[in-house]
Amino acid sequence: MKFGIFHELSVGKPWTPESESNVYHNALDQTVLADQLGFDQVWAVEHHFLEEYSHCSAPEVFLAAAAARTERIRLGHGVMVVLPPFNHPARCAERAAALDIISKGRLEFGTGRSATWTELGGFRCDPDNTKDMWDEAVRAIPKMWTQETFSMEGKYFSMPERAVIPKPYQKPHPPIWVAVSSPETAIQAAERGIGCLGVSIGTPGEYEQRVKDYRKAIRSAEPVGDFVNDQVNGVTFLYVDETDKEAEVWGTKLAYNFAYLAAHLIGISSVYPTAAYKTPGLLFGLRQAPKGERAPGGGGVIREGMGVGSPQTVIRNLKMWEELGVDRMLFILNAAESVPQEKVLNSLRLFAEEVMPAFEGRSDSSIRGAAADPALPMP
Amino acid sequence: MPDHGALSEDRVAHTGPVPAPLYPAPPWFLPGARILKIMFETDKEPVLQWLPPKLTRSSPPYGTITVEDYPESPVGPFTVAHQFIGCRAGFFIRGFALQSVVSDPIALSALREVWGFPARLGDVSLATEGTVVRASVSAAGSLLCSLSLEDSEPIGADTARFDPSLTLRLVPSLQENMRHDLIQLMQIDPDVTIADAVRGRGAVEYPAASPWAVLPNRNIIAATACSMDTELPLARFVMPY
Repeated sequence: MKFGIFHELSVGKPWTPESESNVYHNALDQTVLADQLGFDQVWAVEHHFLEEYSHCSAPEVFLAAAAARTERIRLGHGVMVVLPPFNHPARCAERAAALDIISKGRLEFGTGRSATWTELGGFRCDPDNTKDMWDEAVRAIPKMWTQETFSMEGKYFSMPERAVIPKPYQKPHPPIWVAVSSPETAIQAAERGIGCLGVSIGTPGEYEQRVKDYRKAIRSAEPVGDFVNDQVNGVTFLYVDETDKEAEVWGTKLAYNFAYLAAHLIGISSVYPTAAYKTPGLLFGLRQAPKGERAPGGGGVIREGMGVGSPQTVIRNLKMWEELGVDRMLFILNAAESVPQEKVLNSLRLFAEEVMPAFEGRSDSSIRGAAADPALPMP
Repeated sequence: MPDHGALSEDRVAHTGPVPAPLYPAPPWFLPGARILKIMFETDKEPVLQWLPPKLTRSSPPYGTITVEDYPESPVGPFTVAHQFIGCRAGFFIRGFALQSVVSDPIALSALREVWGFPARLGDVSLATEGTVVRASVSAAGSLLCSLSLEDSEPIGADTARFDPSLTLRLVPSLQENMRHDLIQLMQIDPDVTIADAVRGRGAVEYPAASPWAVLPNRNIIAATACSMDTELPLARFVMPY
């Protein structure tokens, strides 16, 4: 199993003129260290208007800065919202290709459709249509990358024939993913031959069936791109310290603050009656934890499988994910800077020294060129 | 020794007067209800002004108005309208009851005294014609709010959502320099069994002088109308203010 980090860039109140800058630069420093320590991916979300929870509305800028300061780590859009009211699909293709060039082929292209009224309402985007919008865009963008010119008369966007440039550095194109927070989307990812980017903070038990369904469905994928990306990523919190007791203090602060900020957003399924959003998405998994559920010695928000504890505890927890067939775990390192930066960096170092060696295949976590190593051959 | 009275606490009515309450004790079962619910984005300032300190606002702030027609209840038919502030109690989505109007004086007493709704007596109408649902809320001869849902279309009953309400349980004080002898937050969390549900284009309008205009409608989020069996239950939680 491999490991990556996942940035929301949450900025807690009270805000000062330096608050956002501190969060951005702390996250960049974490990324530089993660690159040096052998983490193989860094992901940055795209969220809009989610005050405190995520101030990462221009992830391509953050990731470009990360590209300039790192050597090996792959750079993930976790995700780019590919809905035309947010981002015209041609602009998505252009920006992603530019980032792939700047990073010399290190882009992982995550796609998604947003799960909050705060964002969809902000762009006057009808929640009923987002799945179809996403589908149209995720099929169009690989063609923009691989065809000399592209034209489209779609339901949600259209454009006359144009050369969408630049083209990605990776040939034929970067690996494509979709944010998955429901069983249905896991299967839809597999059917399209794209990676399963788990974005809900659940337990291994909650992911188990989803991973099985994805693995089964991807055998008959009809890929939207030129190859199948069959990787499964999960996401959880990371705080490692010498003892469980010390780790739980800071891990609980991290998980609690993340969940508390998330609770103040307006999830689509909580306000808008639609069959298009059956689950609350990334935001609300933690607060649905049954009362008193906790990992050994953990706080109320510390759940089974989280990367919180001593190295031995974290190894034990992450092995659960490995046994499910999850290829990579991504870690949320901080929330509203509730963990001091030096402790975050020490946690990363301790993880690299004492946890990473316990996982097989970590030595393969170097840059994985999409064309050089397609997960499955073209049908 | 003088003889002591024998009225044990368990024999005292749930509300005064002691032997003859105006209304039966909860829960009240409310079959065949029709409810129009409209959610809308609103301003931050009034939301913060009117939320108790234990509650926090969402981002963006929003309000909800429900207009409810109960053809059957333990006190007979009545209609009621509530204006809620969408809020969070810790991690949880709640609606804090800001203002209510109810058509029946006995229901008014119960909603105030038992369930803590800030209710006043008035007229609440709810009517459906084809694909349009219209409602109005008035008190003391003045229109407070008019609402509509147009171009209704059926939706799955499982997509309609009703969040628990938070109300204030108040016991006024007769002691000098004391405003309340008791002030608590209550969570009212009715079960609902939805028979059918529609959604459509919602509208909320207030006359300029209406006290309900305290939560202006800045952007409609969703409008739904449902037929359901529901209840006014015992409080799920009672919390210190």
